[in-house]
Amino acid sequence: MASFHQCLASMTRLSLRAPARPTAAPTIPMFLMPAAATPAVRYATVNMKKKVVKKKKTYKTFRSYDLTRMDQYSLCEAMRYIRAAEVGQPPNSVKYELAVKLKTNKSGPVIKNQIRLPFPVKNDSRIGVLCADDSPLVAEALELGAVVAGGETLLEDIRNNKIPFNKFVCHADMADALNKARVARILGPKGLMPNIKNKTITKDIKSTMQDMAGAEEYRERRGVVRIAIGQLGFTPHMLSENIKTLMSALKVDISNIEDSYLKALDEVVLSSTHGPGFSLNSLLQPTDGSVKPEDLVSPM
Amino acid sequence: MVNIGHRLRNLDSLLNLRTGPGAAILPKDVTRIHMRFALRLEGGHMGPRKFFRENLPRLKFHNPTIPMIVQRNDDNAGPATLSIYFREATGSATAAETPWGITSSRVMDGSIEPPAPGPGERVLTINMRGAHSEKILKDFLTKTGAVAVPISPRDEALKRKLEELEVYAEIDRARVLKEHQDYKREKRMLEQAQSEAAALKAEME
Repeated sequence: MASFHQCLASMTRLSLRAPARPTAAPTIPMFLMPAAATPAVRYATVNMKKKVVKKKKTYKTFRSYDLTRMDQYSLCEAMRYIRAAEVGQPPNSVKYELAVKLKTNKSGPVIKNQIRLPFPVKNDSRIGVLCADDSPLVAEALELGAVVAGGETLLEDIRNNKIPFNKFVCHADMADALNKARVARILGPKGLMPNIKNKTITKDIKSTMQDMAGAEEYRERRGVVRIAIGQLGFTPHMLSENIKTLMSALKVDISNIEDSYLKALDEVVLSSTHGPGFSLNSLLQPTDGSVKPEDLVSPM
Repeated sequence: MVNIGHRLRNLDSLLNLRTGPGAAILPKDVTRIHMRFALRLEGGHMGPRKFFRENLPRLKFHNPTIPMIVQRNDDNAGPATLSIYFREATGSATAAETPWGITSSRVMDGSIEPPAPGPGERVLTINMRGAHSEKILKDFLTKTGAVAVPISPRDEALKRKLEELEVYAEIDRARVLKEHQDYKREKRMLEQAQSEAAALKAEME
């Protein structure tokens, strides 16, 4: 039995592998061969070629493409396709997305900022304001749309895990009270702890709140800035206003970066939650007039 | 960002939105369309979903101005209807239809009844329950009197190109499958041989 297995195993191996050594074995016995004919070198070493590891070329910048090869669409054409692809989807939860590709180095400063779009994409911000209980700021904050405002009572609520807000602002006068109140352990993990760096500890509650409500954060990742730019129900006019606002904000951001770093706009791509992505050509409607902005205002 | 070659190839699939069953222009007197059916399939809600997924996008592409509202809920025992709203020939052309104030939605409970027709509007309902999507489309096209959009020469050429590529893809798929199977077979045999050799070695010791 053993010999059969051995035989099978060796036969299998033979049938699998290409012979490592040439099989053209000499037909005469080894000891009859002249000494000079015996190979001086072992085959194992003959076959071992020095592997030349090709060095992969590295680029300093992210790759940018020749856009003349790319089909580019006007905003209305792109919206027509996206609205067709997204027909029957809930228009509030489906979003238009914008990806702005930059010509930029892989290392160096990145664009990071926040923006208030003329037509906000999300409107679910619930702001809490921490200010002295008896100050007129409480009434002012509530009037501006804060869901909750107060001092010690609010801190007590937070300690009891009653947190009805998803954004939190603190007046500068209450900063000490906030630090003493031992709420950082609760607010910190939720990303709600106010601090000066984020400008959430402020003297001007009003302007901070206005900036916060509907403010969208964006940042450059791998050379692309991506942001939700509108809801599916938006009209071409609303979407183009949002896009224009974002592009001018990006231009300002780019001009704020030192000249020694490469940073320029490259391509703008409009997509949606389930839809295809369209490279945009800065036009609102196509030149052939196949679709007009007023065609795309019907409810979804 | 993804290479533009890949993105261009993806845009070829827009051909499916421009052409195919459902690429038709509705007559001017169709004002809006409402669909209601269940989120899940059982109880005859398969056809409506297929119609919604495959044909409705093409209709929407060729009729961008017409609102097409789709409301789905979890009531599989409930009806599946397609309501088409027409402007009455007698009604004044200026009578603007009253906005419905509803949007497409997925709801667990709550009303998804098709809205009543506004003044100067009449409604035609197709029962989609248990019907195949092809039958729904045929009904829809005959009852509305929609005109099919002929495929443009450019799209025709693109379609032919994609079909040619599909032939090559089929060949490649077969080749890769064979390579994969060969690799798997060799690997299996080698493993068997090795395990047998090891068993033999263990036996001899």
